[in-house]
Amino acid sequence: MSYTSIKFLIFVTVTMLAYFLFPKKWAEYKWTVLLAASYVFYIFAGIQYIGFILFTTTSTFLAGLWMEKISGRSKDYLKEHKGDLSREEKKKYKERTKRTKKLVVALTLVLNFGILAFLKYAKVLFMGGTGDLLVVLGISFYTFQSMGYIIDIYRDTVPAQRNFFKFALFVSFFPQIVQGPIGIYSQLAEQLYKPHDFDYDRFRHGFLLILWGLFKKMAIADHANIAIRTVTEHYQAYGGTTLLFTVILYALQLYMDFSGGIDISRGVAQIFGIDMMENFRRPYFSKDISEYWRRWHISLGNWFKTYLFYPLAMSNAFLTVSKNIKKSKFGSTAAGAHIAKVLPTSFASFVVFFMVGIWHGANWKYVAFGVYNGAIIMLAVLMKPAFEAILRKLHINPDCAPYTAFRILRTFVLVLVGYVFDVAPSFEESMLTFRLIFTDQNLRVGYGEISELGLNKVALIFLAVSAVFIFIVSAIQERNDKTTIRAMLDKKPAIIRWGVVYIGIMAVLVLGVYGSGFNAADFVYAQF
Amino acid sequence: MEKVLEILQELRPDVDFENEDSLVDGGVLDSFDIVALVGELNDEFDIEIKPSDLIPANFNSAKAIAALVEKLMDE
Repeated sequence: MSYTSIKFLIFVTVTMLAYFLFPKKWAEYKWTVLLAASYVFYIFAGIQYIGFILFTTTSTFLAGLWMEKISGRSKDYLKEHKGDLSREEKKKYKERTKRTKKLVVALTLVLNFGILAFLKYAKVLFMGGTGDLLVVLGISFYTFQSMGYIIDIYRDTVPAQRNFFKFALFVSFFPQIVQGPIGIYSQLAEQLYKPHDFDYDRFRHGFLLILWGLFKKMAIADHANIAIRTVTEHYQAYGGTTLLFTVILYALQLYMDFSGGIDISRGVAQIFGIDMMENFRRPYFSKDISEYWRRWHISLGNWFKTYLFYPLAMSNAFLTVSKNIKKSKFGSTAAGAHIAKVLPTSFASFVVFFMVGIWHGANWKYVAFGVYNGAIIMLAVLMKPAFEAILRKLHINPDCAPYTAFRILRTFVLVLVGYVFDVAPSFEESMLTFRLIFTDQNLRVGYGEISELGLNKVALIFLAVSAVFIFIVSAIQERNDKTTIRAMLDKKPAIIRWGVVYIGIMAVLVLGVYGSGFNAADFVYAQF
Repeated sequence: MEKVLEILQELRPDVDFENEDSLVDGGVLDSFDIVALVGELNDEFDIEIKPSDLIPANFNSAKAIAALVEKLMDE
């Protein structure tokens, strides 16, 4: 059941009725409606997958309780023997407790990430095929979310959930199961369990966000997808101009597809009284690649930062390297001091990007994508003093508007280079794309090819106008970071407010991609 | 507290640490600064700041950082 289908619309409406009409005297069980709805949604996607999500739910739930028991026992023991243990003995006991917990958390991580890795890589590694062994709906997203929870328990930052069914809801909540955002237990869980009453303002805001998401996905992304699909199916048949056009179109399509889907998810959750975290903050306005990754797929970046980057960068091994450089002769120079400060961290971020790359799938092009992003960030950080010196020499004020515009454009080009790995079917073809983009530009040939990609002139003009429209809306959002466009609309007269709703509905109905031969495309990120 | 301020000032001379109270939430310090800061604090005060201590509330102001250091020194 796609988020853009009529079926989903009916499904959400029925769930809303069941949730908001739930008897008041049983309000503390209101969350069971969301759990039931989430499992109905999941079963609709294919009952054969249910074993995977149940396994992750159960194993993580039990591991959480187990670790809490270990911690509790340890605390009780230390309390009981407060007087008769030396400081040394206490420390030793604490370390032993930590080791046992580490074992439990490691086992849980290996099991669950093991399943994910096996499904993603088994076919390529052991069977000589390509692609995933099996695409289980939402497996990446619920695995990351559950593993975040279990690491939080290990770190003693949240109490373990004692109700299995409540935990099952946290893992399976239907608006986020297909493509995130990856929720954090301490921010999301209580919101899911709290009984929310119907709130007209929330409903209106949620509804508008859903409409906006539908427009981005169905009118823009799905149109762009028609041309992109045509190119990728006969990739070798096209020249450099068409390939460049495709990569730029892909930047529009991927952003509209992914952020549109997230808007629908967040809008639905908002109607139920639940605020999910933001996953995009106008990423194409970023001034450097690391900022881009803080504004694109924010929940995934956050996950990697909290659970991989910091532990790695702060590990003894990494900090020791830094210290050794500092102590060395080289470390006493300005460049050496800078390198000592940033080398371990930039290496840690390189590892993170490598992991993000291979998470996308078992394909060399994704490895290249990860290495490319990691290398840029590493270089940018290591070379920062040198770049600053060049700017000073050229008498450029780094904060002036033209230079900022240059940085935004430069970052966008770097992002486009990364997208080439995504669009091209294989690593070899991505290399070919780079070569053709630089050596084979011919506007006339390109125009001829582009007009044959399945989009007529009207559709192409519509995409261009949409891109400008999205740019304007994003620029307004960028200037009003503290509020939302919906909150700004609230202050306008009723005729404008209702006008926007009406135009929004019409835009989705008229401009969306529907009908036979034009099957709405699946969300790009649902496959990860 | 004074030593903490000194370390912060050395790390990022461009920031007014005495008055800034959303170092992390406001995006003043990025993750590279945080890791460098952790290294310095660990050495200076002989403590071990763990990844689980890296919540914004612990790093949003010089005062909060000093409080974290004090807490870890007591342990």
